[in-house]
Amino acid sequence: MTAMSPSERRLHKELMSLIKEPPPGVTVDTESVQQNLSEWKLNIKGFEGTLYDGEDFQLLFKFNNKYPFDSPEVTFIGNNIPVHPHVYSNGHICLSILTEDWSPALSVQSVCLSIASMLSSCREKKRPPDNALYVKTCNKNPKKTKWWYHDDSV
Amino acid sequence: MGNCLKINSSDDISLLRGSESVHRQNSGPLPMFQNEQYQQIFFPSPSTSIGHAPIAGHSQLSEEDQVKIAKRIGLMQHLPIGTYDGSSKKSRECVICMAEFCVDEAVRYLPCMHIYHVKCIDDWLMRSLTCPSCLEPVDAALLTSYETT
Repeated sequence: MTAMSPSERRLHKELMSLIKEPPPGVTVDTESVQQNLSEWKLNIKGFEGTLYDGEDFQLLFKFNNKYPFDSPEVTFIGNNIPVHPHVYSNGHICLSILTEDWSPALSVQSVCLSIASMLSSCREKKRPPDNALYVKTCNKNPKKTKWWYHDDSV
Repeated sequence: MGNCLKINSSDDISLLRGSESVHRQNSGPLPMFQNEQYQQIFFPSPSTSIGHAPIAGHSQLSEEDQVKIAKRIGLMQHLPIGTYDGSSKKSRECVICMAEFCVDEAVRYLPCMHIYHVKCIDDWLMRSLTCPSCLEPVDAALLTSYETT
């Protein structure tokens, strides 16, 4: 293997441990990662006993060369975007650890766990109240959105 | 703590200067080197560790940013550096680069006693003065440790 940057080295380590010991319900699309270490597709299952039981979702993680100092860009992709008060229909997720509360001690694994717990604690399947306007006007990159985190309940 | 970037000034960092446990470096550069010191503060060399500090590569910083960076670096100098002796049961790897610490490697101690590779944590502290593991604000903890000693 040719010299990897520190950011690539860490991504490589994370990938290995995610393949070896994935968090419950999460699988890595290894084909996508083999093509490009800075874009990972992950499959995540809706847990049994939650509103998303039996559903499959796909997450896209994009890392820049400042990872882990910069947070990854994380969105839901594919044709099943979970209907959730913090998930916009374009796949953008309103989750503070993805922007201002990011820390380099967090990882792909911990982001997956947060998203899984966000889905699991949902009591009513609905889109965010400002979904239509947001989806029409937002930047393609959710990290460019000035999120207003106000709801800790789900 | 190799290079001393501290300048005699009346900024809030100087409040911390009495805390002997935290630093025992020389107290400010000789006047004749002052310009050189300024250069070093305002245009730090691009970081070679993970990613880049936000300051890297920008030679045209506003005066306000330059002062901010200088203060930040000054504050970081108060965080002690040690060498990893392998006896620490708590942390075996640096959670930033996820690499295991090697014996005799330089590590920086935060007030919460979490340790990181110096290069890794310095890159982060330039962005945010918080401990990546427990999110404790580093500057507040430094001030507290000064008040209680």
